[in-house]
Amino acid sequence: MNYTFHWLPAFRAVPDMLAGALVTLEIATLSMVLGVFFAILLAVGSSSNYRALRAVAISWVELARNTPALFQIYMAYFGLGSLGIHLDSFVALLAGITFNNAGYLAETFRGGLRAVPPTQMRAARSLGMGQIQAFRLVVMPQMFRIVFYPLTNQMVWAILMTSLGVVVGLNDDLTGVTQELNVRSFRTFEYFAMAAVIYYLLAKFVTASARLMEWRLFRY
Amino acid sequence: MFKGFGILAAATLTLAAALPAQADKLDDIIASGTLRCAVVLDFPPMGSRDANNEPIGFDVDYCNDLAKVLGVKAEIVETPFPDRIPALISGRVDVGVASTSDTLERAKTAGFTIPYFAFKMVVLTKDGLGIKDYADLKGKKTGSVSGTFEALALEKDVKKWGDGTTFNGYQTQADVFLALSQGQIDATVVTSTVAAAIVKDGKYKGLMMGGDAPYDIDYVALIALRNEQGLINYLNLFINQQVRTGRYKALYDKWIGLGEAPDLTIAGVYR
Repeated sequence: MNYTFHWLPAFRAVPDMLAGALVTLEIATLSMVLGVFFAILLAVGSSSNYRALRAVAISWVELARNTPALFQIYMAYFGLGSLGIHLDSFVALLAGITFNNAGYLAETFRGGLRAVPPTQMRAARSLGMGQIQAFRLVVMPQMFRIVFYPLTNQMVWAILMTSLGVVVGLNDDLTGVTQELNVRSFRTFEYFAMAAVIYYLLAKFVTASARLMEWRLFRY
Repeated sequence: MFKGFGILAAATLTLAAALPAQADKLDDIIASGTLRCAVVLDFPPMGSRDANNEPIGFDVDYCNDLAKVLGVKAEIVETPFPDRIPALISGRVDVGVASTSDTLERAKTAGFTIPYFAFKMVVLTKDGLGIKDYADLKGKKTGSVSGTFEALALEKDVKKWGDGTTFNGYQTQADVFLALSQGQIDATVVTSTVAAAIVKDGKYKGLMMGGDAPYDIDYVALIALRNEQGLINYLNLFINQQVRTGRYKALYDKWIGLGEAPDLTIAGVYR
């Protein structure tokens, strides 16, 4: 081994890395909120009677699920940039991850919707609820119960995807901060090891909070 | 007779087994017959690829020269800026011929030779933005390759200026040029050699020089593992010989050719 670990100077970088982790969490959370919103539209849209709506929804889901997230983020920045639309790095990364999230979540929601028996809708309508009201008050809550686990999974995935922001010039998220510390001092292994631990803890934190939320939300 | 042979064989084996343990990196390179150089290939004219996708540039020739004097074959390993040290530590390359700025912070990790090249920094911008010198960058969107000498200097000034001035750190020089040509950023600071090459090349439309950046001269060195003193010693002598024999000047004329090759020494100090 021709490398001696310098842990002490590396530990001094922890506050900077935690500040980066906060940006990471912020992007991931925003992308989940937006992703869920678009995914519901996509899930409804892909079974819509309007052909154009169906086409848009299906192509979104197909593209999001069958091309690398890296390309989606790269396209949001440099692809749109070549058309003269300039998103800054933060927005481009957010757009890329949201696009990806929405695609995966749409499929999850579609599965969730199909798992809610159609009789629920009929029962709600027979009680005098409107279509949208019945969907919102009866079908959606049941669907969310079914898709909650995959949703948590997607949130963890979103956190990990934020690391791709470095390719579009984002340098204040966890990976960006780490990469800059790395090039500045060449202490690659210490910084990457610490970043890995922080990502791990972020992911665990998300899973744990999801458990807590689940327990609060879904008890009878 | 047989007994004596046995002892001799045992002695030879012991010696053979003991030798590799004493060999250092320099011996390893000579014995393996190949010198593996980490070269950055999106940093013209120091390193890039020609129409046939073959590595070319000052650093590529420099590695070939080194392999020649070592009596081995050169192998160019394309290495982006952030990956130079991992490539060295993991043993994928023997030396870095990769325009590495010799900062004291990095010298805690990697072994640096004496400087083999020196860069001056200039502003690179786009037509019609009205950026004529470094001070005009105030309030503009800037970017550079994350963690490089010029990125650190620029980022420091951007923080000082505030006032809506932004800085983006990209992973590769190619991404910086792409971002600049698309208008994602208004200007970057790069080495004058790279700026000259990229403006002349014309691959990115509308790029132009925006004056000198008032930074110190960026001396760059070859890198090897920090503990490979034998190898670093050899590399130092090699750099010295390149200048003495006129090869440094010849390579400078071939790849950069804007007048005098930069002086590699600083008056008043050794090294």
